Amino acid sequence: MAPADPTPARRSLAAWLETRFNLTEMLAFLSSFGVFPAELDTTRPFREALREAMRRPLPSYARWPRVLGLLSFLLFLFLVTTGALLAFYYQPTESEAYRAGTAIVRDVTFGWFIHQMHRWSARLLLVMLMVRLWRFFFQGTYKAPREAVWMAAVVTFLAATQADLTGRLLTWTTTGYWTTVRALEVIHALPVLGPVLMFLAGGTTPDSLFLTRFYVLHIAMLPAMLLALFYLHFNGVRRVGLSHAPSESRATGETARVQMINMIILAALVFGGLVTLVTLAPTPFEPAADPALTPQGMRPPWYLLAPHAIIEMTPTMLPRWAGGLVVEAILLLILVLPFLDTSAGRGVRERRVAVAIGIVILAIWLFLTWQGYSLEVRR
Amino acid sequence: MRAAMLFPAAVAMALAAAFVPCAAAEPVPAGPAGTDRAASGAPRVLCGVCHPDVRVQFEQGVHSREGFDCTSCHGGNAAAATVEAAHRAPFRGTPKRRDIPALCASCHADLAMMTPYNIPADQYALYLTSQHGRRLVKGDESVAVCTDCHGVHEIRRENDPKSSVFARNVPDTCGRCHGAPPPGSPEGAPPVEGSPFADYQAGIHGQAYLQQANDSAPTCASCHGSHGATPPGVGDVDKVCGQCHATARGYYRDGPHARAMREGNGPECAHCHGNHRIARADVALLDTACAACHEPGSEMLKVAGGMKALIVGAREEIGHAHAAIDRAAAIPLYVEDYKARLEEAHTALVQASPIVHALDVGRVEQLAERARGIAKEVESEIDGKLGERWWRRVGLLLFWFYLGLTLAVLAVIRRRAREEPGG
Amino acid sequence: MTDSENPETGRQGGRRTAILWLTRGFLSLWAVGATALGIGFLRAPSREKRPGEGLVDAGTVSSLPVGGARFVRHGARPLFVVRVSETEVVALSAICTHLHCVLKWDDGGGRLLCPCHSGSFDRTGNVLAGPATRPLPQYRVEIRDDAIFIRT
Repeated sequence: MAPADPTPARRSLAAWLETRFNLTEMLAFLSSFGVFPAELDTTRPFREALREAMRRPLPSYARWPRVLGLLSFLLFLFLVTTGALLAFYYQPTESEAYRAGTAIVRDVTFGWFIHQMHRWSARLLLVMLMVRLWRFFFQGTYKAPREAVWMAAVVTFLAATQADLTGRLLTWTTTGYWTTVRALEVIHALPVLGPVLMFLAGGTTPDSLFLTRFYVLHIAMLPAMLLALFYLHFNGVRRVGLSHAPSESRATGETARVQMINMIILAALVFGGLVTLVTLAPTPFEPAADPALTPQGMRPPWYLLAPHAIIEMTPTMLPRWAGGLVVEAILLLILVLPFLDTSAGRGVRERRVAVAIGIVILAIWLFLTWQGYSLEVRR
Repeated sequence: MRAAMLFPAAVAMALAAAFVPCAAAEPVPAGPAGTDRAASGAPRVLCGVCHPDVRVQFEQGVHSREGFDCTSCHGGNAAAATVEAAHRAPFRGTPKRRDIPALCASCHADLAMMTPYNIPADQYALYLTSQHGRRLVKGDESVAVCTDCHGVHEIRRENDPKSSVFARNVPDTCGRCHGAPPPGSPEGAPPVEGSPFADYQAGIHGQAYLQQANDSAPTCASCHGSHGATPPGVGDVDKVCGQCHATARGYYRDGPHARAMREGNGPECAHCHGNHRIARADVALLDTACAACHEPGSEMLKVAGGMKALIVGAREEIGHAHAAIDRAAAIPLYVEDYKARLEEAHTALVQASPIVHALDVGRVEQLAERARGIAKEVESEIDGKLGERWWRRVGLLLFWFYLGLTLAVLAVIRRRAREEPGG
Repeated sequence: MTDSENPETGRQGGRRTAILWLTRGFLSLWAVGATALGIGFLRAPSREKRPGEGLVDAGTVSSLPVGGARFVRHGARPLFVVRVSETEVVALSAICTHLHCVLKWDDGGGRLLCPCHSGSFDRTGNVLAGPATRPLPQYRVEIRDDAIFIRT
């Protein structure tokens, strides 16, 4: 490969830009969010570095199990784009929120499409992040040197649930409003996190001021936090290398270019799936929230049902925050899991105890979620 | 002690009274102690010994509570124990029908007596102006006198629900002469056909008042007056109806019909709407009522037809818009703002309807067209939104078609990339 | 998202390049579609007034001296009502037709002045002086009893 001509060449635009900016660095920055699972040499000119990177054989990352991370980021991009578009019409005050929401869905051209894409992407994202955590656990991908990756994944999931929670209130529909009120009950009961989150949210009752703060959290703070977390994750992955299932061999792999095309195909399929869901199963129209009228059967969002069950099942002798303390303790244990698991390797056989505990915890979580769900029915 | 002596005395008198021709020739039942006022110290009233059922009735009424007794109207001696003594002069006995108004007026036209009770004293004067009073003076005794409406002995206050002149009972009281089923008819018997009572019951005022218990609906007295009962005269009908229907009256007075009326010959409210059997005012009247006076094919009938077409057209359009809103709400879509806009159309239509009394096609057109325009706008907007749903599915199919092609292209590109020599 | 670069610089053949450009065109239709979607979505909805929304209350005729004017607030488009004669009232836009500053009424001179570039208009909205060239738009006035209503 001949080295790039140092004198400015007006023949191609890329070459012209190359002498004025470090395009490779720009691409490397973009890739640091997961497009390329390998590092670009930023000292080389753009086309060269790209060509070289494209030819590099890499372990497959657009296939299971690593596709989850990629898809999470992809969905995050969908959410940011559709969210930015929605923000052109939304008004975050108690009197206007519902009207703005219905105007978007009913009157704005393709408003229903953007809104539903936002909603469905959010749901899929949460599911994907949770499944990702489970797969990290069962495949032992949290062991050294990947502890930070695990922790970032946990915090990403938590931040995404907060983004989902803050987003629910914004529509100011009956379900949105009262689901948030129930969720706030759960958060209020957490001893350390509770007061912090309540401080950010500005109180305990969802009123206009509260709504504005939720809005800011939803469109600015949490997306920034998520973006930072994604960056941390991908940066860490590029440093320690993509994880491999013990059964997967390290050597074979297709070139980065093929991987990228795979990624585009995957993105197209996901996009197609989302569009189908959006068109055939949009969320039905809901009436406006009435803060004075509590409807029957409102529950916290699904990811808070298990904490809800734990808190509600705290015996009445103990204060409510005791249950919250249990929830926080569990979260903390999950977070520091890599440091707790002292088994030798990553294989399932070596981590029998950990895997067994994991299965038990999954079962308990499912049971508690079901419990939290049926608490309302019993009432 | 005294009560114990009373009973044998009453029995003795009853036995004695059995041999005397007397209005009530039955044994006297023992009344509650003190009802003949011996215990209270007031003069004893023994009329009830012979006339017990009348006494019972009288005691339900208001006069007995104000210290009046039988002698106030009938004269005689209430304390007497024998018929001759009781019926001694001045004894009026049963007053003649034509004397009853004056008899009642002897107290009820006396301001000094009536003012402490805050009862007006003009009833007799009003009565004399009424059809009833005027006919009575001419010698017709079949008309109503005071006792026909207020009762004879059991006269209750007019705010007592059991009173025959309590507002809710007024139609039945008037109906006793003017068409109600005669007394003794079986339960549920129909009123006399063609009578004012029958017409009132069948009409919308009667239905509102009697069946729907709507107290703002008129009774006989609302339009005819009570003591001065007279049907409204020619030229005065619109004033009576206008007591409630002021808007319609206002438009009527601005229009050609009122002008014709003032010039001597024209229709009034009752010509088109009826007087007792009033049907719900609907634009259908424009088809039937106008033809009663106007020639077929005349300008006036065209005006009527035009106004009807405008109102009916607007009403239909609003109906379509409502149906569209219902369809949208069934999906569901947000429809509150559409409903609000349709309310405006309704308002315009409601404003247009009474203008027909002024026969002003221009104004009717203005409002009816506005109602129609709004309704049409709402309907077309909703239909647009509903049609969208179908378009979305079509779009989805096209999308998948194009995505399928794109995936094929990408697969081909990938195959090419795999064939390329790797580095 | 980034499309894959496809540098086929070594290949000759018009057919190849034709297919290449066809493929690029085909794939770029997605971008066209997305742009159309975005533009359709972002097109601001019409702010036309619905029936009955456009009447503005502008006080009474009797409280307005002959030859005088009153400023009427109306959101971003305020108005002036001017009583030009005993019986005639006109409603003018209070926005200067030059560069959209809000005018002020000069009672002494009987004209509307613009504070931005010293333009002026007469009682009926015609330009008297100043950088503005177009007269002020007039609005229909409806007088019911003594009340002035402006139809915007």
